Amino acid sequence: MIKHLLTTAAAVVAVTAPLQAQDLSAMSWDQIVEQAKAEGELTWYVWYLQDDLRRAVQAFEDEYGIEVTIPEGGDAGGNANKLLAERERETGDIDVFAWGYNDFETVDLDALFMPLTHLPEDDGRVSELTGIDGGDHVLAYWGNQTGVAYDPAHVSADDLPQTPEEFAAFWAENPGKFGFNYEKGGSGPSYYLNMLRVLSDGVDFFDGESNDEKLAGLQPGIDFFNAHADNYVVTASNADSILRVSDGELWMVPAWEDHLAGLQNRGEVRSDIAFYIPEMGMNGGGNGVAIPLNAPNPAAASVFIHWLTSPETQTMFNRTFGTAPMNAASDDSFALVPNAQREFRTPWAAQPFRGEVEQRFVDDVILER
Amino acid sequence: MTRARLNKILMSLVIGAAFLWLLIPFTMAVLWSLVDPSEPWTADQLLPPAMSFYRWTDMWQNSSLKPALVTSYALAPTAAVLTLCLALPTAYALGRYEFPGRELAKTLCLLPLVVPAFITAIFFSSILFQLGLAGNRFAAIVFAHAVLFLPYAIRILTVSFEQVRQDHIDAARDLGATPLARFRVAFVPALKPGISATLLIVFIQSIEEFAIAFIIGSPDVVTIPTLLYSALGQDFVRPNAAVLSLILVVPNVFLMLILERLMKSANPALSSGKG
Amino acid sequence: MTLRRAATILLLLMPGLGLILALIGAVVYIAVAQSFGLYSLMGESAFSLAFWSDTMGKKAFDKAVRYSIYVGVLSAIFSVILAYPLAIWLRKPFAGSVTIGAVLKAPLLVHGLVAAFLYINIISYNGLLNQVMQGLGIWDGPKRLQNDRNAIGVLILQTWKNMPFALLLLTGAVQAISDDVLDAARDLGAGSWARFRKVIAPLTVSGLQAAMVIIFIGALADFSFQTIAGPTNRQSLAQLMVNFKGRGDWHSAAVVGVSMMAIALIGSALLAVAARMIMRGRLK
Repeated sequence: MIKHLLTTAAAVVAVTAPLQAQDLSAMSWDQIVEQAKAEGELTWYVWYLQDDLRRAVQAFEDEYGIEVTIPEGGDAGGNANKLLAERERETGDIDVFAWGYNDFETVDLDALFMPLTHLPEDDGRVSELTGIDGGDHVLAYWGNQTGVAYDPAHVSADDLPQTPEEFAAFWAENPGKFGFNYEKGGSGPSYYLNMLRVLSDGVDFFDGESNDEKLAGLQPGIDFFNAHADNYVVTASNADSILRVSDGELWMVPAWEDHLAGLQNRGEVRSDIAFYIPEMGMNGGGNGVAIPLNAPNPAAASVFIHWLTSPETQTMFNRTFGTAPMNAASDDSFALVPNAQREFRTPWAAQPFRGEVEQRFVDDVILER
Repeated sequence: MTRARLNKILMSLVIGAAFLWLLIPFTMAVLWSLVDPSEPWTADQLLPPAMSFYRWTDMWQNSSLKPALVTSYALAPTAAVLTLCLALPTAYALGRYEFPGRELAKTLCLLPLVVPAFITAIFFSSILFQLGLAGNRFAAIVFAHAVLFLPYAIRILTVSFEQVRQDHIDAARDLGATPLARFRVAFVPALKPGISATLLIVFIQSIEEFAIAFIIGSPDVVTIPTLLYSALGQDFVRPNAAVLSLILVVPNVFLMLILERLMKSANPALSSGKG
Repeated sequence: MTLRRAATILLLLMPGLGLILALIGAVVYIAVAQSFGLYSLMGESAFSLAFWSDTMGKKAFDKAVRYSIYVGVLSAIFSVILAYPLAIWLRKPFAGSVTIGAVLKAPLLVHGLVAAFLYINIISYNGLLNQVMQGLGIWDGPKRLQNDRNAIGVLILQTWKNMPFALLLLTGAVQAISDDVLDAARDLGAGSWARFRKVIAPLTVSGLQAAMVIIFIGALADFSFQTIAGPTNRQSLAQLMVNFKGRGDWHSAAVVGVSMMAIALIGSALLAVAARMIMRGRLK
């Protein structure tokens, strides 16, 4: 019994050969669409704004007659656990899997997802986003941006800090009014990583190589944060930061543009909270989609991804959610921040260096507070 | 006389504490559930600026809520009873027999509690899939919960079995009682509190468990915590979370009362003859 | 005879412990193997001790171990200290005792996540507590109580959620003590403190152990209370583990996970022994 279980357990993490992917790659796109209509349904695991997205995919259902199920609830962690837990099932439950672009870096894409090379050619689609390469397996469908949310009742829009020194001046003038998270969401990490990048002259954040010399080069930035430690607050999460601005406790916090907008739409936080991208640069991000190897309806999933990443859908998303379009041919006129600020969008530091920087920041700044 | 007086003093203390303990949290939950989406409730306001039953009606009309209620309230009692049945023999052995390795066995029984949540979530569910249990998602969740919550049942029932008094068993035997009758007079009274505690604890654990129920159940079988996690996840809709937890309180209280009634009657402190 | 007895015991252990060892044992095996670089989710698997030596050499790991033990032990102690007197008081039914029992157990019915957000709400910068204290003139201005440095928030939440559980177990244990035993002690001139020390404490020690061990393990592995209400300058073991996992470093996450399991098992054994010594040591 135990032996059987252990072999089962071993099989759980073994790698299987992509089966269905080959079936699709031998078919023409027309044949795939035909098979998709025969499949007639698909399940899209997406970890946020499920209600709104259900409305948004209505257009796809009308166009193709394929029913899209966005399962109730869950979060990014729950969806990812499900993906990993059922990787050895012959047929899983997930047709299309949405995940943060950074998160796709934490798994072996080849072993989990099928290549999307059978989709019709479209040079406008994005598979490399903010320094992360999704290869043949992942396509971006949702572009978003980190920046700083502020309370216009206390902070004037004409006088927003743009550089580390200006932020430090703001902290000193208004102690305890600026906060950022270091985990549970990427907005705080985007903030401190870019502060460190600007303050650590000569350290190349966009080269993933990590060595002691590079890490030692971070010292001025670490010292900077420690010198001002009493003047800023560390919050618990992306959501906690924004709520505390809304509650009037904090005046300025790093945030995701689309997250702030979502909370405002739901009546969770005050609608007058404003957002900007500082000149020192902050990271853009996004979500991508991929098809698990054991997807029950792979053809429908492919047609859905083709629709999702098309210029028309991306224009619609831009209009509905204010996201940055993830197809070069789409219209991006409905952004939440002025397009002039978009140029401050910066790629994330490359891995594995980024992980080492975050670890160092946690060790030498966060845990030393 | 002094005891009655003591009770009175203690009672007022407890009522005061209960105010902090319960009244504030529940009042807050009720207020949160009434927040109208038109205007957010920020902490500097004592009451929500706009109140309505919008969240309640909206939640009630949400297509997933009712099936989720049915699933969760079918799942949790089933899991509790199954756990109890699986745990009784082991608890009997641990509580009534002295044998080498007993302490080790007791410790090993804690394993399901000790394994970090995400490891259980990924690998335990994965094994369940491999064993082909996902064919019936509901049964698979019941089984998974029974295994996961066995430690509670085993530890609680072991304590109960230890408390069965040998003199009661002996006396019953000396009086010529059949094994069944012996069990009824000597074991049942001592076990009742343990059984009700086990059922209650496993019920509550099962109704709160998210990770495995989601992995195995989704997308067909939705449980209450799935809805709760989506309310308090990325989208962070606190009023919806408040509505959900208040909706849950009613059937929970109801079930607890039933359980108390079922398990009452036998208080060994009273039935032991004297006093 | 002894063989038969051994067979009986084994047979009795099968459905409970047997099932646990077969199913969860396999999961533990995977976790341990992962901590040594096997069963990789990122491609290549190779046996290595590096993950253990790297992770254990980290300052963050050391701090997380100490912090999690602190939360685990204190949560267990606070819960039983509050539950004990209540259990003894509720031993015999009296008018209103059922209501009180129900009120005390009510927190079991509120999901931990909801409890955490309500708590944060009450203690937030402009929240109820701050407004009341300022209104009464006790505090001059609002205080920042959220994510306090000593994890008082986490301990309050843990105790709120776990005290009812301890109460449930201890009530059962206390009620199982028969009146004749207590009356005999009283007849021998034992006061109420002596009766507690010499009769109630030794007879309820296994209920106490069970409660402490289960609460300790839960609080040691806490993630959700810690990330919502815990100090932001400390990480719990579960938090550290999730951080590693979020970076795709599954093997280091497994090292933290396996350490957490070891601490939970060793810690609960120690707690059980300590509880027994304290409660029985006084019985002369």
